[in-house]
Amino acid sequence: MPIRVRVRNAETGSTVDMEMENENTMEEIVRGAAGFWHKDPGAYVLRRGKRLLRGSQTVLEVGLKDDDELELIPDPEGGYRAPPQ
Amino acid sequence: MTVIRAGEEDLDRWDRSRRINWLDMGRVQAGRYLVLGAGALGNEAVKSLVLAGARDITLVDMDRVVRSNLNRCVMFRDGDSTARRWKVDAVAERAADLDPDVRVRAIVGRVEELPEHEWGEHDVVLGCLDNIAARLHANAFSYHCGVPYIDGGTEGFTGRVQVVVPPLTPCLQCGLNQSHYRVLERRYSCTGSDVTYYQPSMAAEITTTSIIAAVQVREALKLVCGRSEAVVRNAVYYNGLRNTWDELETSIEPSCPLHT
Repeated sequence: MPIRVRVRNAETGSTVDMEMENENTMEEIVRGAAGFWHKDPGAYVLRRGKRLLRGSQTVLEVGLKDDDELELIPDPEGGYRAPPQ
Repeated sequence: MTVIRAGEEDLDRWDRSRRINWLDMGRVQAGRYLVLGAGALGNEAVKSLVLAGARDITLVDMDRVVRSNLNRCVMFRDGDSTARRWKVDAVAERAADLDPDVRVRAIVGRVEELPEHEWGEHDVVLGCLDNIAARLHANAFSYHCGVPYIDGGTEGFTGRVQVVVPPLTPCLQCGLNQSHYRVLERRYSCTGSDVTYYQPSMAAEITTTSIIAAVQVREALKLVCGRSEAVVRNAVYYNGLRNTWDELETSIEPSCPLHT
């Protein structure tokens, strides 16, 4: 049974609801949300409250529940960012 | 009868620092600091280290000063760009102007070419770099040598600082995901001896770099003064437009090679 989680775009404040299964990874959430918002290619991280989530963690490992909120944050690397494609 | 002299406290350069009870000036001055990168963050980091009392700084960078650096690099001057001076040499000279007792060892070269023994000969490493590959290298060698690594990054009005204290905390590599590696791949996938890779210039300005470098230096001071329990756990993200400052906890990635 999928759960539904809200993902917030840290740069704009906009949100999108995302459905996911226990085996989906944070990596997939980053990719999905960044793709939905047509983010510039670059590095992004995901936070839940005061914790940064690792890409390899699954929904089950993180313990995500319905109506949880995640935030997609650009990871400033002080250097390269590819031009928009 | 005790006699005091008016204005005596202002004769001591470090009087105001000594009034911070946890700041051990002896340890600060005895500390050995390795600063990677002499760009915007590196300029600010060296400036703050010198003014905080650091005496022994090693600075590594492979670039020369250009005019567009001058909006955010406090240690550079117009003449440095005209003369195509190495960044590390300009910073070393200006650091000595700030405090003649400081020794800045200027190394022209890539971080990846730094001899292995250099990492272990310092008490703390400050990463003031502009690319993920160099960061990963610094992270790995610092971790391997058991030296704390304080990484800083900025872009426009956002910034981050991560403090890695081996073997207690997650390292930089623990927090990377595929989006980071795609940036790495994009940068290196089309390089070769006959190819010039175009890298767009980044948004960068002084206020964010000052803030991020200041945090890096403050964390370094905590570590050399034996206050590791007070350092950032584990990363802070700063957004100057939204006025937010979040300390976020990272976790060790089980498959990270540095922890296995």
